This record gives sequence, structure tokens and C-alpha cells, in this order.
Amino acid sequence: MNQPLPNLKRGQAGIIAGIDAAQPTAKRLADLGFVSGIRITMVRPGKPCIVRIDGRFVGLGASCQQIIRVVPN
Amino acid sequence: MTSLCSLPVARKNAVVALAGNPNTGKSTLFNALTGFRQRVGNYPGVTVEKKTGLLEHEGDGPRIEIIDLPGAYSLSATSADEAIVLDVLLGHKEGIAPPDLIVVVLDASNLSRNLFFASQLLEIGRPVVAALNMVDLAEAAGISIDAAVLSQGIGCKVVPVVATRQVGVTQLKQAIRDCLDTPASNRCPSFPECVCAELDGLNQSVRSNGAPATHPPRVQLLQTLLTPGGYHEQAMIRRCGRGLADELARRRHRIQEAGESIIEVEARIRYAWIDRVLDQAVTRTAPARRNRTEIADRWLTHRLFGLLIFLLAMGICFQSIYAWAAPVMNFIDGAFAMLGGALTAVMPAGALRSLAVDGVVAGVGAVLTFLPQILVLFLFLAILEDCGYMARAALLLDRWMGLLGLNGKSFIPLLSSFACAVPGIMATRTIEDRRDRLVTMLVAPLMSCSARLPVYVLLIGAFVPSVPLLGGLLDLRAATLLAMYAIGAGVAIPVAWLLKRTVLRGTPQPFLIELPTYKWPSPSTVLHRMYEQGRAFCTSAGTIIVAVAVVVWALGYYPHPASIAEEHDARRQAIVAAGAPEPGLSQQLDEIDRSEAGAYLRQSFLGRMGRWIEPLVTPLGWDWRIGTAAIASFPAREVVIATMGTIYNLGGDQDAASVSLREKLRSATWPDGRPVFNLAVALSLMVFFALCCQCGGTLAVIKRETRSWGWPLLTFTYMTALAYVGALATYQIAGRVM
Repeated sequence: MNQPLPNLKRGQAGIIAGIDAAQPTAKRLADLGFVSGIRITMVRPGKPCIVRIDGRFVGLGASCQQIIRVVPN
Repeated sequence: MTSLCSLPVARKNAVVALAGNPNTGKSTLFNALTGFRQRVGNYPGVTVEKKTGLLEHEGDGPRIEIIDLPGAYSLSATSADEAIVLDVLLGHKEGIAPPDLIVVVLDASNLSRNLFFASQLLEIGRPVVAALNMVDLAEAAGISIDAAVLSQGIGCKVVPVVATRQVGVTQLKQAIRDCLDTPASNRCPSFPECVCAELDGLNQSVRSNGAPATHPPRVQLLQTLLTPGGYHEQAMIRRCGRGLADELARRRHRIQEAGESIIEVEARIRYAWIDRVLDQAVTRTAPARRNRTEIADRWLTHRLFGLLIFLLAMGICFQSIYAWAAPVMNFIDGAFAMLGGALTAVMPAGALRSLAVDGVVAGVGAVLTFLPQILVLFLFLAILEDCGYMARAALLLDRWMGLLGLNGKSFIPLLSSFACAVPGIMATRTIEDRRDRLVTMLVAPLMSCSARLPVYVLLIGAFVPSVPLLGGLLDLRAATLLAMYAIGAGVAIPVAWLLKRTVLRGTPQPFLIELPTYKWPSPSTVLHRMYEQGRAFCTSAGTIIVAVAVVVWALGYYPHPASIAEEHDARRQAIVAAGAPEPGLSQQLDEIDRSEAGAYLRQSFLGRMGRWIEPLVTPLGWDWRIGTAAIASFPAREVVIATMGTIYNLGGDQDAASVSLREKLRSATWPDGRPVFNLAVALSLMVFFALCCQCGGTLAVIKRETRSWGWPLLTFTYMTALAYVGALATYQIAGRVM
């Protein structure tokens, strides 16, 4: 079941299922490696949250979190 | 790896562009390559900072100029800063030759994401050399990279370096010279058929549409097609007309019909290629252990402790500015007082001596005294930035910036504005949304810049008593300084809130920030930053401030009518003739000297201007001399100290030059003998300077950024009004309480 990213709990990992909106932010997220099939871990939930992707940490505000859909592990 | 590079042919000059993701140590590498032979300017037409330098090398060979490009994650250009990168690389910027070679800086411990940008750069078709930076940190983290294999995989020379310790820099310089004439061999991935077909079609229609001189190459068209709403799309539509927007929509639709995602296709293709390359080139010698960054971030980005730590860091910063800089400051102050005294002794009395002592020495000395504070402030800002903490601060403050209707991205420009609003306003270019950018720009000058620091330090030193607070942790003086900084930042909140809800209404923009791995700050980078800022400050002290000091001196000295001297000489003679006994005689003579100096100042042009505005500034607790200094400091607020130095010198007694400005302010009196300055007046003046926009540079840069006079005018008006009201309230309240 794919869900919006904020549904992940602290420390929980998931696989990215897709990026929703067609806007520059979505392309920026994709270029930074937020693409389907990539594993993502919620390090610190909240607004903004911190996620780990490919060994690095990225801070995401509320609207960025909403457009990332994940399948929780 | 020489097979990839041929021997250089004889050439005279070459331009090399330094590109890379943010936080890859690009600036440190730039410093290592160019030493101190750098120039800082702006790209024509925009105010993105342009840094260029000459490659330092021994022996013959071409003269190689290096351009340090702004950090970027992708050529897709979602901000103005990123748009510059592709424009420069393609030679689309006027007055900048397209680079002969691109050096792409890669963070060795973060190769995957860094290679995304590198793969885009490799497709431009220019020679590329990859500088694999921070290999030491990667090794420490158990990542071992075979540079030769990586070089084969990506198709350009790869040089491992540790920029902070100058390791590999010589090899990198050699590689730059060797590869100048060797285009990168294209080993980059190919895009799916459906994307290529639409790209060809787009190429056809743009070619039939625009001027052939700047025909967009494939890399630019790819970004136009795959980044909806991005900078390249907007630029291309401006160029080809609205029809292109419909065409792009149709082409994107067809790509989606073929089962590809517009947003993800580029990332999917490139990261798959990167994974294949890294599979061969990288071995993990140790399992990835739970890293220190994550543990540190538990505390540093904690909602409560993180914020407390941030406030503590800021507190230490301001305490140090006060404590560390004070002795040096007193030394400089004393040195200039001695110089003034020496000049007074050797030069004959007259206009020239007055110009040298009261104008130039008093003015420049008063300003240069504050160099230590500025260096300490930049020491802290550079350390916080270089170790990776700044991104965490932006993250922590995103919630609070949200209250203003802005996001955490606005925080860094605002924090830079504490040093100087000009680079701060320039830093707003990284904010994608126009309205957010404007709001940030308009409130940035409210942040207490380093030019206000001299005013605070002078007045606090003279009028705020040293009282230990919080059990000696903080001094009342440091606390007052902190309060002055808090006022500007505090007032920015309602101002931004109001702007966001009136003239610049809009929804908050998405916040996305990478949190770099913590590292020890590099002393060379930190020192370099301090040197740059110190030099900029001294240059301005050497030019505009001296000019203003001299003008203010002239306005305060002339017309210098002889009648005043005659009148006072007559009084002196009368007293001496009356034969009064000492020490009464000397006292009377001193009294006449002071009265003479005061009379000159009052009848001077400056004195007339000052008395004209006196009714306006009296409610703030100021005398006409303070009012005059405030007006004279319109072009640059740091001038106010120099102006006060000049005014109080002219109006003071004859050996005033040997007394520090602090003492002169303490001893200044109203005509009835009451001291001009007390705590309330000092606070009122500080609040005025905390809120006013006495800075020609700031207004000019806002004008340049917004391409209109309306915004700088609005900034100046609202800030001056706030400053006046703030100073009025401060004086009236403080005057009653104390």
C-alpha cells in the first residue's frame, strides 16, 4: 500500500513509490535521488522532517513530504 | 590515465570553470588553486557572486583563469543561482568566454549524488576533470574508491584531492593543463526512445524559432522538456512565444503515454548509470557504521535542545565579539589618538591640521577600531558554515520562519545579513519563489549588520555599566548587545507577516535542504573568509568613509569666519591684562577655547543644518550634533562613528585628539551644561541605528535585484519610520524609568 511519506514513524524505512506533483520542486527531489524504488528512512518526523536516503540526510518541509509516496517496510 | 588526455598544444589563455554540488569543499579547492589572487564581482545583469582567480603554477604554460561557479545540484535550474551555472558553461553570459574546461568537484563520501550533476556536465561536451575531494573522510568512513576505474567509467580524468590539506592539488593543476584540449569521451547513459524523439522534435521547432547565435544545445533542451515550471522552460517560452508552452505540454503528454515519468526519468536513467559505475569503482572496506553525524543531529536538531544549543551558540558568539575584540580595539583606538596627538604637535595650526587630525585621522581611526569585532563575527559565521551546522540551523528555524510565512531557506540570507545585508540580499537568489524572495530582501536590512556593531560597541562601552548577570555567565554589556540584535530580528517578524498578508500575499514555498556530514572546519577556509570580509571593510573605510569624513569635516569647519577668532582673542587679552592669579587664569582661558570651538561649529554649515533639524530629534533625546551625525551617515551607517568623531573633535577643546571618542561623548554637554549623553539617549540612538536603513549599498542592491526603485524606496521609508518611532519610544520610556 503506498502512503504519503509523513506516515512513516521515527526510524521506520520504506521504498519510494513515486513523486506526485509536476513542478520544479518535484524535479529537484528526483534529481537529489528521490526516485521510485529507492529506500528512504524517517530519521526524525515532523515539519520539517529529516530523512535518510542513500546514506545522506535531507530536511524536508511539509509540502515536500506530502508529494513523496512510499511503501512502508 | 594519460590515454584520456593529450599533451597540451601551445595556447596563451584559458578559462576553467569550477562546478560542483554545495558542500563539496569547492571554495576551499578554489582557494587552494588560486591562492590569494582572486577577484570578486557579479555576473553581468544579475547579482550572483562571481569569483575568479588565476591558477597558481610554476614554469611556463598558458595563463589559466578559474571561475568559481555557485554550488548546484542539477542543471535543471529551479533557482536563479543554478540558472547561472548553465548560462556560464554554455557561454551565454555576456563578457564571459565559455570555459575551455570544467573542473567538477566531487565529495568522495557522497559520490552517487555528486555524480548526477557530473553526468550532466559531461554531456555539455567540454573537457572535464573531476576533483575527487575529501578522500580522507571517505577512507575513514570505509569507502575506498579506485580513481582509475572511476575515470574509465565516467570518461574523464579523476584526481583524488584533500583540498583542506593541499593534498593532490599539484596533480590537479597538472591534469587541468593536460586536459585543456581533450573533450570528455561521452560514456553517459542514453535516454529512452520516447524522450529522445520529443527532444529532437523540440530541437527542430526551437531552431526554427529563435536567433541562431545562441541556439540552445541538447543539455538545455533536455532540462526545458523535463523540468515543468523551471527556469529553462520560462526562458525558452520568453524566447519562442506562448506557443511553446502548448507544445511542451503535448510532448510531455506523449512521454507519459509511453509510460515514462517526466519528473523521474532523468534521475532514473542517471542513477542507474551511476550505480553501474560505482559498482566497479567503489569498495566498502568496512560496513557502514552508525555515523557520528546522525548521533550529533539527535541533539543538534532536537526540537527543544537543538534550539537551546542554537541560542547558546549565538550567545557565545556575541559574548566573544565583546570580550575578545575589546583589547585589540583599545589598542587601535590608542594608536590613532597618539597619531592625532603627534600630528597636532608637528603641524602648524590651521585648516590643513584640522583636516588631517579632525577629519582624516579621527574619521578613519574611529572606523578601523571596529575591525576586530568584524573579524570575530566572521570567525564564528565561517566556522558554523564550514562545519555544516548552518543547514541544521535552517532546519531548526524553518518552523519559526513558517510563522512569518517564509521557509527555512530564508534563514541563511537573513543570518548572512547579520554580517552585511548586501551579501544577504544577494543570497536570496537561492529562494525559488519570487514573493518569498522579496519579503526576505525587505526584512534582511533589519538584521543587525556588522556596520551597526561599532555604534553599539561605542555607546555600550561608554554608557552601559558592566554588571555580571546570570551568575557571571553574561555581562550586562554583552546582554545589551544581544538585545540590540534581538530588536531587529524581532521587528522583522511582524513586518514579514504584514508583507506576506498584504503586498506579497502567497502560499509558503516547499522547504528542501541537504544536511551535510559534520566535519572539522578548515582553518584556511575560515581565515580566508575573515580576510575577505576584513579587506572589504577596510577598503570601504579607505574610500567612502574617508570621503564622507572629509566632507563632514569641511561642512563642520567652514566658513570659519575671522570675527569669531577676533572676538575670543579680545576676551583672552582682557583676562590676561586683568592679571588674574593661577590656576583660575588657565581655567578661564580653557573656557574661552571651548567657547571659541563651539562658536565655530555652531556657525558652520553642518551646525546650521543640525540646528535646523534639532526640533525633530529633540524628542529622541538627541542634541543637534547627534542628529547631524545621523543625517551624514545616510550613505553608510558605519560613517556615523567617524562623523561623531569629527563633530565632537571640532566642537571640543584643543587637545581633544588625544582623548578617545568614548571620553568625548561622556563629556559632551548641552549649552546649559547638562551632559548630552546618558543611558536613555544612548539606548535611543542604538535603537535608531538598529532599525534604520542608513546604507546606500543595501538600497542599491535591492534596486538591482528587483529592477525597480519601488522596493528600495519602500524599504527605506518603512525602516526610517520604524527607527524614528522606536527611538522615540525608547527615549521616552527609558527616560521615565531611569
